[in-house]
Amino acid sequence: MMEDFSTSLAPHGQHDPASASRVADLLLEIGSTLLVSGAHCGRISRNLERVAERWGYHMELFITFTGLMVSIKNIARPEEQVARFRRCPLHGVHFGILTEISLLTWKIAEETLTIDEAEKRFAVIKQTSPYPRWAILLGVGFACAYLCILGGGDWANGGMAFMAAVSGMIVRQEFLKQRFNPMIAFILAAFTTGLIAGLDMIYQIGASPEKTLATSVLYLIPGVQLINCVIDLIEGHIPTAIARGVFAGFTLLCIAVGLALGILLLGIQHF
Amino acid sequence: MSYFLMILRDASMAFMVAVGFAVLLNTPRRVLWVAGVLGGLGHTLRFVLVHHQIGLIPATLVAATGIGLLGIVFSHRVHTPPVVFTMPACITMFPGLYAYRAMLGCIRITDLEMLKKEPVIVSMTVHYFVITASLLFALGIGICSGALLFRKRSPKSIFRQIF
Repeated sequence: MMEDFSTSLAPHGQHDPASASRVADLLLEIGSTLLVSGAHCGRISRNLERVAERWGYHMELFITFTGLMVSIKNIARPEEQVARFRRCPLHGVHFGILTEISLLTWKIAEETLTIDEAEKRFAVIKQTSPYPRWAILLGVGFACAYLCILGGGDWANGGMAFMAAVSGMIVRQEFLKQRFNPMIAFILAAFTTGLIAGLDMIYQIGASPEKTLATSVLYLIPGVQLINCVIDLIEGHIPTAIARGVFAGFTLLCIAVGLALGILLLGIQHF
Repeated sequence: MSYFLMILRDASMAFMVAVGFAVLLNTPRRVLWVAGVLGGLGHTLRFVLVHHQIGLIPATLVAATGIGLLGIVFSHRVHTPPVVFTMPACITMFPGLYAYRAMLGCIRITDLEMLKKEPVIVSMTVHYFVITASLLFALGIGICSGALLFRKRSPKSIFRQIF
């Protein structure tokens, strides 16, 4: 009885497990992880609102491409409020994490989890590993090969596209592992792919060698950023939409530069 | 090759493409097949529409919208946000060839001699660039059509509203 009495009297809920500062930290953790895993702004704010509502907070959220700011206020005790900002690490699309966080926030909204459990589960989700390297390489290779055949190439063109895409992806992974600038990695990967796919053009392998070059760099396109840009524009999240558009546009430019370097090295007259 | 066989070939190839991109984007293993099915259906729908003399851009818009709407239905079945499989499904229709031709046109424009010989390069490059941009926008609109059409806050509530 005594304990109950003292906790209810404690100012600013110091003994309250879901204090404003703790909820704000959890919100920022979840929000920044969603942002770098490839969620659009509507999804981030929906997910976070579920969490904030569960512990009785009103939330205001501002998302930029490189960080996010959250300010929460306890609805029952309005003097209890916190505003925090967090910078985001490098973006890397991971839909597995996106899915698990969505499930977690629904579970939190159903009020079955305490904040301790929520934090623990989130820590586990954050460690979700991506697919093994060979699986990604195979996925990239087959995706580009079949895209080439879908686009009108024959099996020889598809084979060339497979080799070009896989070697480009290996180059990209290696340079990212050495912590090179991601844009440099894009240029070098596109350059490698362009050189290998360009051989198809020079030796006229297969029915339509042009398709090999056109489809074998498609594994590099920032599809998620491009589509998120359109979604954010439609939903009115202008700052992130501009940033995503610029990022995606610049990535496309880097791919084009890498490919163009490869083509110019092989000789433009062949293309 | 008969029409039916061509459709079947198109669908199976698009299935593989969508699964490949889903692996690249780290879609969870248990919903990889959904990405493949949506990619296959979407690309086949576009193939059929283009075959029946409908323009590439409207056909892409219709196919991407189909993927977006089906994605909402599937997302409820497998308890996964729709974007996880609609995104790789839409990448099967990415305008790679037009983007490549636009880029090649830009390289050619830098050569003044070639440009004087064939001034048509400029208009062709602009043409390919505009097609690329339109197709990209069509894909973007199509993928979020569910949210636009139903004006509900989450895919879960959209599903509840219809069924």
